[in-house]
Amino acid sequence: MKNNYTTKGRSLLFCMVFSCLLPLFTNAIQQLQIHGVITDTSGNPLAGVHVMVETTNKGVVSNFDGSYSIKASTGDTLVFSALGFVRQTVTIKNGTAVNVQLEEDITQLDTVTLNAGYYTVKDKERTGSIAKIAAKTIEQQPVNNPMAAMQGHLTGVNIVQTTGVPGGGYQIDIRGKNFINGGTDPLFIVDGVPYGGQSLESTLVSSGINRGNVSPLNAIDPLDIARIEVLKDADATAIYGSRGANGVVLITTKKGRAGKTKVSASLSTTLGQVPRFMELMNTEQYLEVAREGVVNDGFGPFLDNPAFDFIWPSLKTWDQNRYTDWQKELIGGTAYRNKVQVSISGGTAQTQFLVSGNYQKETTVFPGDGNYQRVSGRSHLTHHSKDERFSISLSTNYSIEDNKLPRQDFTVLAYRLQPNAPALYDDNGDLNWEDSTWDNPLASLQQKYRAQSNTLIAQMNLSYRLANNLELRSNFGYTNNQMESYRVFPSMARRPNLNLDASSSSFDINRSSRDSWIIEPQLNWNQQYGQLTINVLLGSTFQKQREQNLVQTARGFSSNSLLLNLSAANTIEVFRDNNSDYNYQAVFGRINLNLRDKYILNLTGRRDGSSRFGPGKQFGNFGAVGLAWLFSEEGLFQNSTFLSFGKLRGSYGITGSDNIGDYRFLSTYSITGFDYNGISALEPTGVFNPNFGWESNKKLEVALELGFFNDAIRLNTAWYQNRSSNQLIGMPLAGTTGFNSLVANFDATVENTGLEIDFRTTNIQSKHFNWSSTFNLTVPKNRLVRFPDLENSAFANRYRIGEALTSIPLYQALGVDPDNGLYQFEDYNNDGNISALDDKQWFEDLAPEFYGGLGNTLSYKNLSLDFFFQFKKQKAFNYLNSGAMVGFRQNAPIQLLDRWQNPGDGNPIQRASGLARYPGVSEAEGFQRESNAAVSDASFIRLRNVSLTYKVPQSLSKGFDMSLYLQGQNLFVITDYEGPDPEQASFEILPPLRQVTLGLQLNF
Amino acid sequence: MKLHINKTSVWMYTICAMLILTTVSCDSFVEVDSPKNSLVTKTVFEDAATVEAAMANIFVKMRQQGLVSGNFSISASLGIYADELDYFGNSPDILKLYSHNVLASDGQVSLWWNHAFNLIYAANDIIEGVAASQTLSEEDKNRFTGQALFIRTYLNSLLLTLFGEVPYIITTDYVANNRAFRTPEAEVYEKLIGDLNEAANLLENSNQGNENILPNLQVVHALLARIYLYSGDWAMAETMASNLIGDYALEDIDKVFLKGSRETIWQLMLGDNPVNTYDALQLIITGIPTQGMALTDDLLAAFEAGDMRYVHWIANITSGDGQTTLYYAHKYKATHNTTNQSEEYPILFRLAEQYLIRAEARVQLGDISGAQADINAIRNRAGLSNTAANDKASILDTILDERRLELFTEQGHRWFDLKRMGKADAVLSPIKAGWRSTDIILPIPESELELNPNLKPQNDGY
Repeated sequence: MKNNYTTKGRSLLFCMVFSCLLPLFTNAIQQLQIHGVITDTSGNPLAGVHVMVETTNKGVVSNFDGSYSIKASTGDTLVFSALGFVRQTVTIKNGTAVNVQLEEDITQLDTVTLNAGYYTVKDKERTGSIAKIAAKTIEQQPVNNPMAAMQGHLTGVNIVQTTGVPGGGYQIDIRGKNFINGGTDPLFIVDGVPYGGQSLESTLVSSGINRGNVSPLNAIDPLDIARIEVLKDADATAIYGSRGANGVVLITTKKGRAGKTKVSASLSTTLGQVPRFMELMNTEQYLEVAREGVVNDGFGPFLDNPAFDFIWPSLKTWDQNRYTDWQKELIGGTAYRNKVQVSISGGTAQTQFLVSGNYQKETTVFPGDGNYQRVSGRSHLTHHSKDERFSISLSTNYSIEDNKLPRQDFTVLAYRLQPNAPALYDDNGDLNWEDSTWDNPLASLQQKYRAQSNTLIAQMNLSYRLANNLELRSNFGYTNNQMESYRVFPSMARRPNLNLDASSSSFDINRSSRDSWIIEPQLNWNQQYGQLTINVLLGSTFQKQREQNLVQTARGFSSNSLLLNLSAANTIEVFRDNNSDYNYQAVFGRINLNLRDKYILNLTGRRDGSSRFGPGKQFGNFGAVGLAWLFSEEGLFQNSTFLSFGKLRGSYGITGSDNIGDYRFLSTYSITGFDYNGISALEPTGVFNPNFGWESNKKLEVALELGFFNDAIRLNTAWYQNRSSNQLIGMPLAGTTGFNSLVANFDATVENTGLEIDFRTTNIQSKHFNWSSTFNLTVPKNRLVRFPDLENSAFANRYRIGEALTSIPLYQALGVDPDNGLYQFEDYNNDGNISALDDKQWFEDLAPEFYGGLGNTLSYKNLSLDFFFQFKKQKAFNYLNSGAMVGFRQNAPIQLLDRWQNPGDGNPIQRASGLARYPGVSEAEGFQRESNAAVSDASFIRLRNVSLTYKVPQSLSKGFDMSLYLQGQNLFVITDYEGPDPEQASFEILPPLRQVTLGLQLNF
Repeated sequence: MKLHINKTSVWMYTICAMLILTTVSCDSFVEVDSPKNSLVTKTVFEDAATVEAAMANIFVKMRQQGLVSGNFSISASLGIYADELDYFGNSPDILKLYSHNVLASDGQVSLWWNHAFNLIYAANDIIEGVAASQTLSEEDKNRFTGQALFIRTYLNSLLLTLFGEVPYIITTDYVANNRAFRTPEAEVYEKLIGDLNEAANLLENSNQGNENILPNLQVVHALLARIYLYSGDWAMAETMASNLIGDYALEDIDKVFLKGSRETIWQLMLGDNPVNTYDALQLIITGIPTQGMALTDDLLAAFEAGDMRYVHWIANITSGDGQTTLYYAHKYKATHNTTNQSEEYPILFRLAEQYLIRAEARVQLGDISGAQADINAIRNRAGLSNTAANDKASILDTILDERRLELFTEQGHRWFDLKRMGKADAVLSPIKAGWRSTDIILPIPESELELNPNLKPQNDGY
């Protein structure tokens, strides 16, 4: 059995769920035994190098100490190839020892392998759409979350950071929004273990600071990541069946390598600031419009009556000459992040290990001492038995996060506080309440928010090679995610004239956890028949997940110093006490046929069962077919110096989604936590529908991959069309049903089409100077194709056939009426009345029209420079959406100053109003906020990342391998958008920060 | 070699068999137990205790978030909408109510609508669940059905006065309810009275001794009296009010809003919540400047000298600089419940209203002296002399005034009176710049018209 096999022998019946009948052949021929060691140019042993006898296409893979052993005859040519290294050939002359040194090659993408989840595939031979981002790109970005590192780098992947507050969340969509009412969250898999990407935070506790969105991926330090692959088309995702509709993100962490024990440490400090401030009104401007607003509303005479001073303190009792730049005061600070990472790795040919620990602390741009800390530890261990048949790998990742923040994001106050608002502190250094005429923003520093998370991801992989071409393996995974968060609202954070004591203080606490285990036994078989290679994978998944939430509110304390103790509370309300179970089971398989390395057929399929569906609806079938033709291997191009690589590939298949929450098919009553007359109340949970089933997503893709001039230029172009139907909708219900939604399948079809272009060039490659560039572009289009009886449905006013799901209906603004100074709108049905039903007929699509990135990597001797621009063409809500009128209660963007004042004026902003008492004034303002005038271009080009690394010469570093680096993230944005950030177009949330990092990397 | 291949095939067959087995036997794997915090609906109606809990849910929600009590109750909001309260805060929705610029898209309007229909669903589910139950006793069935019918009519009567004609929902069938048409006003009154009479029959023998915290026969009569009055059936209004006037007695002026008050017909028991009554929390002004609401000068001026209601039910506060004095409703006195033993519960029906209902019914029926007697009962309790009004028109005016003074900031009475007596235009247009006569009913929430086109057209003026 140690001999090689040829294709002769006996076949055996191989019966599986997918009914494949496959033969197995064996035989042996006598040859020479060639052996040697493969190293890189620095002498490190290289494992995993493919060694192949060119004439027979038979091969082996080098061991972890770089050694290999292969049978070949004299005169044969051995081909050595490995991921990222220049392919080398050696002809066997005499002797049996062949030692080889491989050169690194960043352009030779042929040999790059990609992780497709259950299997790996050579980039060259893949039939599906898999985008990858490597450790190098991730490491050079000073970010906290793996998703942040992906922004802009991958085609078809649209990621938006939801807040600049540390420890916040991200929104991600892969190839657009597929489902009318569903999320766009892809399936996240960390080292083979599905990882719930949804936040465990409760909005009750943290709506003010991070909108209840805490990304569980924060637990994974980007520096620990070896690579991230994103699976997009049917060929790549159908093997994930019901969970692949929104794409799959595979995160692989770093592993140890055989060789001498290596210690590497990295230290860095990051400074972060709000990159753009809004231009707001100054004191003089503000007071002018505030007074005008009061007068316009007919209250002018009251301004002189001191009895009414309390209504407009900014106009009367506050200092009329005071000016505070509240943006500088409240969000103008510098956030510091200090980070240290140490890892030790090494091992022998049989056993390799990696242990690493990270610590980081990040402060905020807010006043106060809010900070986010993360400690994480990771270990990875791999062992192979001596005969290489058995292998085991274990990895664990444990992290503790502690996020202490003010309860409220100061950003909205920074934009809205009156510029002459009083000083924050009085002469004694206490909070200044200015006779209770304002809510001191720093009071929310006493309203603390704290979130602590503990995350464990553990994984074990066992495999046993039953025969040379047959492997049995099983993946075992366990994840545990615990979160405890709270916020306090002490009485002293309220205006003193409310005369509150600790009995009105409150404390909200959320304790949530999610744990899941997964077992995936798999069988992998491959065989070669002449020029046909067959690869078969069969597997099964068992997964259980349990989520628990306990959210409580405690009120009434005897002292504010006891606020964190539930037992000191007068009353405790249970806001939510919930558990939910999710069980999931599947069988899956893949058959890959490769003929002459030119024609490749890839069939994948999965049968899924999910507990989220009612009896009889639990199972669904999904599958895909992928084809690739490497036409550059055809005779015509064989000797072309121009075209070095050419592949046409396509795929079609069905994936699904069960992303609807648990137990939605049951009619239940739930415990509310409240009681009446001593009886604990039970509420009907909702109207229910036991008959809903899978929603399906049909994905079609055609792609052309080209390489020119020995792959110095690579161009990948993909066109896709995803059609989602049988939509599982939280169908909005009229209030008269008692509830607002119902889960049901709906026979509507949503189409996402798009073009993705990846362009990579090696511009200059020389001994000292290298320059390469990447460019990616995605042009997505989303369209509602079919929606039977849309006019009579709940979505009649929301969607339109042919329009994108992301298109929203708006009023059409017609400027300000010169006579009365109110905004005017197009009255589409000419009934003399503006109403949402009839007159919101203007559609604007707020999804990006196209997006992408442009990156350059330059290196000269020991110095390397990377910079990456991200761009997006899109529209977004502008400042008018958050307020379209000036008045006395709050400050506003300077643009609102250009207002109507007298009959005949033609200014773009309507008359000032302080108390919304002028007839129609608040109505018109409300319409304007939802009109096309409140949408403007938010296209941008952002210098997302610059990284400058200097590798200290060995002569200076005395044997250490030392690098110094300077990195910048989000350095500047070119945009016409008049707001804090064109991507996260909000006037209430802290925008993503500009960050600059100085760091040191040491290896020895 | 041969032997090894055989071993391999044995392995493979074994693994195949295992995989096939696991796929065959997996059906039960994807079934899960129901979550610990919920009960399957069918089991709720097998036991009186769990039906009681479903009923408790309705009262809890009424207390905390509905139309009649809670943060957005009509007591304060309609006081602002009418001429009872001036508002000094900056909540956009309340400002719009105050200035009569209400939009169909306002959250406040949707909140009222959705909370009411959510509870109507809960009541209908109890009615249907109880009817289908095999295990509940006849007595329990009657009590639950009677209470649920009452809740349904009570909420529908409020919706009718707030929004005009709305669908009268009597089933849990979401398909039908999602497409419901508006029910004409006359038909609504018919249904309200029919349902209440049925409730009265069912609740006949269920008048339990309690703190008047559960709807019983008397509560049904109180609502019937109000509905007969609103719909102009004077004789029935008089009969119903008379039923109650026999059963309860007017309380001392300073004890009317205590939980032990003898004139309370129905009040909502408080839970563990440290908020005492929401009325106190919203209406009491604790300091100036304030985000709160103060009684209008008009209302203050309407009290005669010596009116004990002014003395006991109104308080004031003056700013530190002595420049500003604001008056506020002080019927309920405790904003927070620090002892866990509240002295005040929010009162939804009390006897004084029944006296004023009967007075109005009587004057409409031509019984001048009877009407005077009822008015005087209220006036005398407030330390005032008998009314001087002695003809139908002046007595009706007096009743409107007395209702204003007796029931101010309670359950939107002032607004409903202005509306049903056709006085809203005359009273509000001089004092509210934004007033339009179409403001007499609120808009149907915009989202509702989008979701259910059968509700179109929108109410006039929106």
